[in-house]
Amino acid sequence: MNRKASSGIGWRIALALGVTIAASPVLADDFGPVKPMKVDAKKAELGKRLFFDPRLSGDAAISCSKCHIPAKGFSDGLALSKAYPGSDGFRNTPTLINTAHKAAWFHDGRIGTNLNDVTREMITETYTMNMDMRLMQERIKQDPIYVKMFKEAGYGEPSNGSIRKAIPEYLKTLNSRGSAFDSGNMSDAAKRGFDLFTGKAGCAQCHSGPRFSDDKPHNIAVPENPDIWSEPKRHLTYVAFGMFIGIENYMNIRRDVGAHIRTHKSDGSDIGKFMTPTLRELNQTAPYMHNGMIKTLEEVVAFYNRGGGNDTNKDPRVKPLNLSREEQVNLVAFLKSLSGDPLTGPEHVWKEKINVNYAAIEDWLKKKN
Amino acid sequence: MKKGKTLSIAIIATSFGLTAFGLGSSASADMNPALAALGQPPIPPDNKQSAEKVELGKLLFFDSRIGGDASVSCADCHAQKQGWGFNDPISRGYPGVIHWRNSQTVINSAYLGKLFWTGSAKSLENQAPAAALGAVSGNGERDMVEARLAFIPEYVKRFNKVFGDDWPKVNNVWRAIAAFERTLIHNQTPYDKYMRGDKNALTKEQKRGLKLFKGKANCVKCHNGPLLSDQKYYNLGVPRAEDWLENGMAQITFRYEQYAKGVTEELYRKIKDDAGLYYRTKQKADMGKFRTPPLRYTAYTAPFMHNGSFFDFDEIVDFYNAGGGSNEFTDGTLAKSKTKLLKPLKLSDQEKEDLVAFLESLSGEEIKIPTPKLPPYAPLPAVAKTN
Repeated sequence: MNRKASSGIGWRIALALGVTIAASPVLADDFGPVKPMKVDAKKAELGKRLFFDPRLSGDAAISCSKCHIPAKGFSDGLALSKAYPGSDGFRNTPTLINTAHKAAWFHDGRIGTNLNDVTREMITETYTMNMDMRLMQERIKQDPIYVKMFKEAGYGEPSNGSIRKAIPEYLKTLNSRGSAFDSGNMSDAAKRGFDLFTGKAGCAQCHSGPRFSDDKPHNIAVPENPDIWSEPKRHLTYVAFGMFIGIENYMNIRRDVGAHIRTHKSDGSDIGKFMTPTLRELNQTAPYMHNGMIKTLEEVVAFYNRGGGNDTNKDPRVKPLNLSREEQVNLVAFLKSLSGDPLTGPEHVWKEKINVNYAAIEDWLKKKN
Repeated sequence: MKKGKTLSIAIIATSFGLTAFGLGSSASADMNPALAALGQPPIPPDNKQSAEKVELGKLLFFDSRIGGDASVSCADCHAQKQGWGFNDPISRGYPGVIHWRNSQTVINSAYLGKLFWTGSAKSLENQAPAAALGAVSGNGERDMVEARLAFIPEYVKRFNKVFGDDWPKVNNVWRAIAAFERTLIHNQTPYDKYMRGDKNALTKEQKRGLKLFKGKANCVKCHNGPLLSDQKYYNLGVPRAEDWLENGMAQITFRYEQYAKGVTEELYRKIKDDAGLYYRTKQKADMGKFRTPPLRYTAYTAPFMHNGSFFDFDEIVDFYNAGGGSNEFTDGTLAKSKTKLLKPLKLSDQEKEDLVAFLESLSGEEIKIPTPKLPPYAPLPAVAKTN
């Protein structure tokens, strides 16, 4: 998100929201609602069914929606995510609401291209869905409902390529809406919180733009989640990840290096950086941080008020804030005003039962494969 | 019988190792390598046997943590109670899928020059990863296998002792499993005893069956040498697997295999049967060809053929007696590759019974071992080693 220079529009939005930003180094026009994206309805509808279909995983038992649960803001409510059987998660499941607007994905930001690549990564990665996409394609082709939907969506016959296009099209529909912040119905406390957010507390230095994220990695020294290192199935999953992604000394380290896997600074000064998460829909997506170490928004604010955690690589901007009790309450009220309506209706959730059994193709010998 | 001669051939075959087992290099074109008792399997010089390695391989063979979802081990499709194979026509495969070929027995795989129905793996060391990592079999992944083993202290200790690994290395998983498989040999059948000179080891019927095997039925044309296999590839016209007509999941795997094995789109669209050796060679003449299977231990490994089409010896003998069968690689739909060696045999009922009796002499005692207790995971020390 590009920051804009001072402009009249910014002031008008700020005034319309009824807040003052006089002391703020950040401009209010950075914020505002997340704009709905142009969506091809048929492709998105197809993508929705695929998102809720467990046959997209190697063992045909795990759909995308198993960890990205609509009622939990398309996250899972766990500190550390579940993973494919035989492995276990070492990071918190991020929300998928507004994900189509991001510039880079995963807590380390390791994919900075598009959701097609992210979808491929999730479907094929050993510890997530562990799927051979050639087999996925043939499974999907066996389902007459998909054959019809792919055709009607303009994709022709089902293919792994179009599966990876349809799911992102659906993800584009997962847009925040109805938050008090966007509709201008903020409480006074929330308004005061916004003032702190952009001013004294300095949150907006990284939590900028309509999603309240600069899409960049920073080190705020969140403590390690000890479960990763004490539970063999989590630790071994991190080791497998480390082997593949090229983490140095992966058998001996006991910390999640974060965005270091992208920049590999030899002095290790980039270890412990994680992508700034969106602040939208936080009411639905606890616990917080890349490893779920903070359970409530009150604790998040208290964490920042202390100046974050302890780490030599910590971003120098993260320092004690000296917020009063009331100021902290106001900040939390503001954060809560960034959550809107749950996306749990049929518009966003595939409600029909998906028959996961495969009927045989009749007259198979006479049909072209 | 010419006891002395048979024995000496067996000894020569054993001492020459693999090349003597019917690969054709030492035998002239029209002389079949002689039938003989089975000796000891060849051991590759770069993966020598040791008791510790075999024991480690046994644990790994039974350990489902090698598989993608940690629920499938080698022993699931090569089950000792099912002849170290799998007793459905088509193997079970990974959860959520079904395989597309019959699971072959591990017994005596140590003697084979190449593995799988079309010889796509050149050694047991190469067969194990292909099965453990393939999408419709183990669906595992190398990094994950190494990572899991690193958290099983018993394996860390054993890999260090056997291979000198700091942490278990995945290539040594396959080497240990291969070493274990080389101990699963079956060369004390009534037939072997007979070929070693015990004339009472075969019944009268079986002796007549052996004569037919070598003579009128001409089985020996391909089932020859000490292994009773020339390890070459033929299309017998085995009918297609019934599953592909009736089972949606089997149809999925069938198409997946065409896709994964890289056939042309034209062929992908129209093929309706397993083209066998063709996937390796991409030669039309190889369509529908599969490797001659060895015949020992077959009392325990039904059903038979690459797709499990036949459930017992009677069906097999009837099939050959009719001169084999037909499929889309014999009738010109896609190829005409049926072997010319098959002709109606005109066997009498008594002869068929004798032949079946002989086949029964090729299996001795069932090989069963106690299933090993598998070592558990444990956390690594909380404080890391520095360098």
